[in-house]
Amino acid sequence: MAIKIALAGNPNCGKTTMFNELTGSSQYVGNWPGVTVEKKEGKLKGNKDVIIMDLPGIYSLSPYTLEEVITRNYLLDEKPDAIINIVDASNIERNLYLTTQIVEIGIPTIVALNMMDVVEKNGDKINTAQLSKELGCMVVETSAVKGTGLRDLIGKALEIAKSGEKTVARHKFDDEVEAAVGTIGELVQARIADGSELKWYSVKFFERDEKVREKLKLDDGLAAEIEGVIKNCEEKLDDDSESIITNERYNYISKVIQKSYKKSGRGMTTSDRIDRVVTNRWLALPIFFGILWIIYYISITSVGDMTIGWVESFFGWIQGGVETGLTSLGASEWALDLIVNGIVGSISAIFIYVPQLMILFLFLSLLEDSGYMARVAFIMDRIFRKFGLSGKSFIPMLIGTGCSIPGIMASRTIENEKDRKMTIMLTPFIPCGAKLPVFAMFIAMMFPGESWVGPSIYMISICMVIVSGIILKRTKRFAGEPAPFVMELPNYKLPRFKGVAIHMWEKAKSFVKKAGTVIFVACTALWIMQNFSFTLSYVGADRIDESMLATIGHAVRWVFMPLGFGDSWAPVVASLTGLVAKEVVVATFASVGSAVPISFTQVSAFAFMMFTLFAAPCFAAIGSMKKEFGSWKSTLFAVSYQTGFAYICAFLVNTIGSFIFRGTSAVKPKVLDISLMESSSENAVVNGDIVLIVFGALIVVALIIGISGKFRSSKKYAELSR
Amino acid sequence: MPLTFAKTGEENYIKKILGKDDTKRFLESLGFVVGGSVTVVSELGGNMILSVKNSRVALDKSMASRIVI
Repeated sequence: MAIKIALAGNPNCGKTTMFNELTGSSQYVGNWPGVTVEKKEGKLKGNKDVIIMDLPGIYSLSPYTLEEVITRNYLLDEKPDAIINIVDASNIERNLYLTTQIVEIGIPTIVALNMMDVVEKNGDKINTAQLSKELGCMVVETSAVKGTGLRDLIGKALEIAKSGEKTVARHKFDDEVEAAVGTIGELVQARIADGSELKWYSVKFFERDEKVREKLKLDDGLAAEIEGVIKNCEEKLDDDSESIITNERYNYISKVIQKSYKKSGRGMTTSDRIDRVVTNRWLALPIFFGILWIIYYISITSVGDMTIGWVESFFGWIQGGVETGLTSLGASEWALDLIVNGIVGSISAIFIYVPQLMILFLFLSLLEDSGYMARVAFIMDRIFRKFGLSGKSFIPMLIGTGCSIPGIMASRTIENEKDRKMTIMLTPFIPCGAKLPVFAMFIAMMFPGESWVGPSIYMISICMVIVSGIILKRTKRFAGEPAPFVMELPNYKLPRFKGVAIHMWEKAKSFVKKAGTVIFVACTALWIMQNFSFTLSYVGADRIDESMLATIGHAVRWVFMPLGFGDSWAPVVASLTGLVAKEVVVATFASVGSAVPISFTQVSAFAFMMFTLFAAPCFAAIGSMKKEFGSWKSTLFAVSYQTGFAYICAFLVNTIGSFIFRGTSAVKPKVLDISLMESSSENAVVNGDIVLIVFGALIVVALIIGISGKFRSSKKYAELSR
Repeated sequence: MPLTFAKTGEENYIKKILGKDDTKRFLESLGFVVGGSVTVVSELGGNMILSVKNSRVALDKSMASRIVI
């Protein structure tokens, strides 16, 4: 029988780092609370019979957010053989709060005093033996980052798991509270099978915990009796029962710490000093936009642009090689066309933009790892709150610039159900990495030299998130104040190479995997549908209008007429294939465009980009939305909203644009030159100078908000003095 | 007085936490307990970064004003 060991502890205390060390996996580690939103299972390195379970971080066993429920349910219902309670030793007081609860649930527990390296650096000392005696369980010093103490820890954890000796809580509350909890224990004793759980249940009944009440379903008489005991104690201590217990726990902890923790005197920490600057009321927003600008400038414009040339010549070489290879093997013309143009050509059109994305993600993960991202949520809260969103919504959206799926999952850290659902709905509005090639292609072909287009897409997406926030808050489904913003901020630290490297590797891997599976299949299917009719006869490039793709496009193209790109079938088909993966939109244009001319006007091209930006995301993202909403009804509502919103935006762009620019070159149809795709790098998505201007403008906006806020607050004080 | 009036860098002691809901419980589990000390690290338009029990916690204005010092 396999032994199950669970890792539990506060958010951001190093559980996943330890999990990776113990199991040899490479789960993503970030420096903010709530990176792990799902439990993960792994096998101990070198011992397949031991299963290690990584759980989302929790502050207490009374859950507040969704991912905390996962942890509580796992610990209480699935009963691991042992719990390793990871305690951030540099923040021991708060961390032990959870420990006092874990030792009550009657599962063999061992405490890992993690981040001991930080404690030692601060010059503090912890008396482990004393701590172990007080807590009633073994305590081992570790540093997951450096990998020290882990062998000792896992050895002892296995020992207690095998012996099955249950940890018994040693802490005592105040006499009054202890008496009340004891009385409740006597009342419910008969209902609890396992005696070691009695303390836990008694305390939970005292706290009026709903989940425990539902689970045991006491009859009315008994429930009333318990309520009497609680009321009595509450009156005596003049507080509600939950707060009484919390206070008792903290009282107990401060006693324990007095005995076992030796602090060297220290004033302001480095993190405090950095926070003084980066969250300063004047500097916060300018610093944030400045950092973003540097990142986009380096990754997209300067270094990123150079890499495009390399990827191009690499794929050109592959394409040429494959062609000569296949010709020498005597491949038929259509097989040659399928492989060289249908597959290699389409995929390379997408791959051109991968290096830029990689560099972008490198910087974003550096920011994450340093601890700055958590501050960004705090800074943005002030702006988002004005529009009915919480600052916590910003993190999923920032993650969504890479891919909407992890962005949607990251919404779990938002405790308010309505805010969470709205964030899930709006995260796909942020242009993800897969949509970037679509915009890059259009900019290169339809807007050469007009480099305001790229940055404007980011600006429009953020504005539309805010507009949607305002609209949705007026509906019954989302009405109400945004949830209060409460978030622990991690210490700043130097990013670790290993963590950043894992992040980059995962990104590259997922891209290659996507290209090799979904996109590969989609490209093959596209080629077939483009070259065969519904009667399954080969039509080729000459009779492409009879192909399956054209037939489908013709059938639904009237829907897109008002948007300006329904005159021919190709753009219609491209916006449908985008549901498979947004990169396939580019592949569709590359594939169809090499056979038949596709024409756009600048206005209809912009409308097409707007539609792609906001319309339903790819199937994978829709699936992940369904998973997070938990119902098809909400998912359907979200997808309809997104598509409807996209339709209206594109319609407005086309109608207003056609009116304003009538008679100019902006409404003159132009054929998409597919051969241009290879040289699109020159005018890549975001051009340096323009980025400079846009972020400069953002900084000005930020300053205006800051100044107007200053005036408003001075008015508030005026009211107070009156 | 509410915490929103506290000066940056000054150590204060919590007298009371107003209200009765999940958020109060969450604040308590984060270390905001009556009698405990709290220091304002930074303030941004009413939103605050606080140092409590050796960790840093960010709160929006409405939350900060519920903590009485």
